[in-house]
Amino acid sequence: MEHFFKPTPIQKKFFTPLVILISAVAINGLVFLLGRFVFGLGAVTNLNDQFPWGIWIGIDVAAGVALAAGGFTTAALGHIMHKDKYEVIIRPALLTAMLGYTFVAMSVMIDLGRYHYIWHPLVMWNGTSVLFEVGICVMIYLTVLYIEFLPIVTERFIGRVDLPGFLRKFNNIIDKLLRVLDRTLEKTMFIFIISGVVLSCLHQSSLGTLMVIAGEKMHPLWQTPILPLLFLLSAICVGFPMVIFESLISSKSFGLKPELDVLEGLGRMVGPMLLIYLTAKIVDVVIRQTYVHLMVINTESIMFTLEVMIGIVIPLRMFFSRKISKTPEGLFWASAFVIIGVLMNRLNNFIVAYTPPYAESSYFPSVGEFSVTLGFIALEILLFRIFVMIFPIVSVPQKVAFKTKYAVKGLFR
Amino acid sequence: MNKSRRNFLKTSAFMGASIAGVASTKTVKGAPKNILSDDRMGVLVDTTVCIGCRKCEWACKTSHNMPTEPIEKYDDRTVFEKRRRPNANALTVVNEFENPNGKFPIDVKVQCMHCDHPACLSACIVGAFSKEENGTVLWNGDKCIGCRYCMVACPFQIPAFEFDKAWSPDIKKCDFCFDRTKKGELPACVEICPMEVLTYGKKSDLLRAAKEKIRLYPERYVDHILGEHEVGGTSWMYLSSKEFTQIDFPKLGKNPAPGVTEAIQHGIFAYFIPPIAIYALLGGVMWLNKNRKQTEHGEDE
Amino acid sequence: MKKIFLFIITLVLLTNVNGQVKKMGTSHSQKALICENCHSCSIPTKENPCLRDCPRESIATTKQKPEEGPDIIVINKLKGNQDIYKEVTFSHRLHAEMSEMSGGCVTCHHYNPPGKIIGCDNCHNSSRKREDVNRPDLKGAYHRQCMDCHREWSGGVECSACHQLNTKSPSKEKLITGTIKKSHAKLETPEKITYKTPKAEGKTVVFFHKEHIDLFGLDCQSCHSNDGCVKCHDQRPASAKPKMSVELKHKACSSCHDTKVKSNCVTCHNDKETNGFNHLISTGFNLNSYHSKLSCVRCHTTPGKFTGLNKNCNTCHGTWTKEKFNHKVTGLVLDEIHLEFDCESCHTNPTYAKPECSSCHDDYTYPAFIPGKKVKR
Repeated sequence: MEHFFKPTPIQKKFFTPLVILISAVAINGLVFLLGRFVFGLGAVTNLNDQFPWGIWIGIDVAAGVALAAGGFTTAALGHIMHKDKYEVIIRPALLTAMLGYTFVAMSVMIDLGRYHYIWHPLVMWNGTSVLFEVGICVMIYLTVLYIEFLPIVTERFIGRVDLPGFLRKFNNIIDKLLRVLDRTLEKTMFIFIISGVVLSCLHQSSLGTLMVIAGEKMHPLWQTPILPLLFLLSAICVGFPMVIFESLISSKSFGLKPELDVLEGLGRMVGPMLLIYLTAKIVDVVIRQTYVHLMVINTESIMFTLEVMIGIVIPLRMFFSRKISKTPEGLFWASAFVIIGVLMNRLNNFIVAYTPPYAESSYFPSVGEFSVTLGFIALEILLFRIFVMIFPIVSVPQKVAFKTKYAVKGLFR
Repeated sequence: MNKSRRNFLKTSAFMGASIAGVASTKTVKGAPKNILSDDRMGVLVDTTVCIGCRKCEWACKTSHNMPTEPIEKYDDRTVFEKRRRPNANALTVVNEFENPNGKFPIDVKVQCMHCDHPACLSACIVGAFSKEENGTVLWNGDKCIGCRYCMVACPFQIPAFEFDKAWSPDIKKCDFCFDRTKKGELPACVEICPMEVLTYGKKSDLLRAAKEKIRLYPERYVDHILGEHEVGGTSWMYLSSKEFTQIDFPKLGKNPAPGVTEAIQHGIFAYFIPPIAIYALLGGVMWLNKNRKQTEHGEDE
Repeated sequence: MKKIFLFIITLVLLTNVNGQVKKMGTSHSQKALICENCHSCSIPTKENPCLRDCPRESIATTKQKPEEGPDIIVINKLKGNQDIYKEVTFSHRLHAEMSEMSGGCVTCHHYNPPGKIIGCDNCHNSSRKREDVNRPDLKGAYHRQCMDCHREWSGGVECSACHQLNTKSPSKEKLITGTIKKSHAKLETPEKITYKTPKAEGKTVVFFHKEHIDLFGLDCQSCHSNDGCVKCHDQRPASAKPKMSVELKHKACSSCHDTKVKSNCVTCHNDKETNGFNHLISTGFNLNSYHSKLSCVRCHTTPGKFTGLNKNCNTCHGTWTKEKFNHKVTGLVLDEIHLEFDCESCHTNPTYAKPECSSCHDDYTYPAFIPGKKVKR
């Protein structure tokens, strides 16, 4: 009998031992975060005039944006290329992207010295600033993501609005409003989906341009004018592995059977992308003759080698292997390597490569910085768990095919 | 079907137009300011004359209402044991370097160079920096959001940040005493300098004077004016008896620091054509795929 | 018509200027000089050089005795509204005395024409905000004069050496008035100075200071041209003093002695203290009043080589003839009779020392009888 997949809120106990541990990590992060707001950035971080940016930008923001690339890559695949098969992964990817970008925005905010002015870029524009472009793109994209998520909210609540007490009389009106909203969104959703992809391409690449202005301060292994291209390529590369990784973890966590067929299909597309990325990277190193810096052994050369080996070469071999890419374990590890690779790449670009001329010592993140970064990741995981328990996100096999309006939705009806 | 297609086109057109509108406003600059006028001012720092009295440090702090030790304390020369950099508590510092071949050590004042094409200005997310007509690169605290991208961008590693302040920390850097020069006064450090190490004047005059000095005393100076060409030229320029890398200046090219970045930016956003093109392309692909699917569907049924 | 006229004038002017430039091409325009320092107009010509009052380095010949200048100078030309320091009292005479051992007046009064002393503010603008930035302003000029010596002297940069804060009570006043009354100690010429050098052989060098002045006719400036105060007044610890190269140590001597040739070392470097040089004892040639004022190289023309000259006058002077030699320089004007004779008629010995009268006169001897009139030399 054919299975029909339908996104459904998952009904499970929220707290497991692991979840409690993750909650502890999150709370620890929040405590240090409080310290940052009370005593200032200098008290909690190891940042100084030599190293103005640390892991809150390098990991939370730069890597955060890259790892949320699953959102736009799956949207492009599912909606623009119209591959219906992959529809089941769009919602989890969308949720990851939405949460990811929300935390990117929050990380930016806590890293800003004058966080109360975070709205300034909206009204004070500087066309030459890459950061401005990234900021605006991320802001708009975040809005787009929220709009893309709205149909899931309406789906969850239409026909089920049940406010308690005296609010009960509003139930009908709210239900009507939700329906109007749902219909409007349905007609206009394609605008947001395409915008989402365009915006992603723009800011993913511009995130690379960000460090170009550091000029001589950046190690030549990474300092290249094609940095935006490399960033875009690596973001596209990490999109599907992130979805695979996440899907495998959440199905394990919720005791569901992984949709291997779908994940395998995604995996098949990763190999060629990695190959393009690797080629670009090698061509860059050869043309600029920066391989000479790989001949000496230092932090920079080791990190560059690790980044390329772990992040590109090994998973490339794994994804191209028929045997490995058909098993959940193989897919999991290959995806994990790509993710680690991109994470390292962002870390390298923003922190390892940044070697200012007047540095007195090198930068290493403080306990506070680690705590907040880990805390944010933990919070994100917790929120993901909460969301999939409230909203219909994860597709669960159903015995009966639903033909009602609020079943699986294509976008053009 | 037909309706939805028209709808699609209409909405796309609207989106495109609005983005193009954004683009056009984006390129509009503020009031026309001749930031590279021939009359812009500068300072010529002759490091061969500097005696390291550090009076400039005192004057700077005093005129900026920053806490400072009394002026007598600045005779202390033990501070030179360590290299110092401008920071949130000192907008300018003097460093001393050994000079094995000369009678005296070499003293070098460090502060913002006030670039002709400032990287901080180009990089700043909210445009909190401005290049004034008299050469000053000015920071505006009413705009700054404290992202510290200017610190990443600055090729001379000058902007400092009040990391210890929890509420509304400032970016701190030399402001070329903008409030003083506005009133026709000299920058505080220039005014106090006993040896006139710091010569304030029109940049063009200073360059001529510097070249004349090099011509007249070739054994005293290296034939190089730091800041004449570095990163596209700076308002503050230096003369030295040694190669500038030996007195702790970074080796920099002649191209303006924000050049490559702005070229990339303009490439990606050339009149917003590339983003709109991608948008249109993706829209087309989406529409085609959707049509194909529906025809297949129709045939199936 | 007007145009042609103008053209001709321009042509004349241009050719004129060209001529001038060409002429000066070999002289001072090649030197490290700034045109505007001497010429007030942009195109000086021979007819109208438009020379300024001050600065011509080659003719800067200010030379006065310390006591001819003012005792003190109160420097208050830079008075402003919010001065940090009080006006400076400069002990001019004391500094003039100090400068005698070094460059003299021109150490500070550089670019000064002979005769009157011109003030610093003649050339150095008292306002720092000015058009011409080629020259330091007055404040810079003052400090650049002071700091070169003061910095070397103490190794530090203490403003309080000259300045007192406006806010402080005048406790330092005494110190400054004290300096004004002070005189620099009179410099005495030592007989000899004994140096102990780190050389293994020939450790001892005795420098016969008086001898170099009296015997070789050197004056202070010949060696002490650029000594500075620190030569004697060095407050720096030994570790802070700059290391002198071998070359630098011998610099004062090497203008006469060739210090580069190994075999010459023994001239000065000995194991024991030596006696001074006496030209008569060592060589048998007495440096009489004519020769004692000459520098060594006038006769010993090959640097570092002092042997090989014989005592005959004509080795250096060539052959004297009655036409070429003005006998007056010896302090004796010959009478008309003796003026007619050849030199050798009287001066029979090759050193032209004592004339012989016996070839003509039987009973006359020199110096009992003199063949003319004695005059002041």
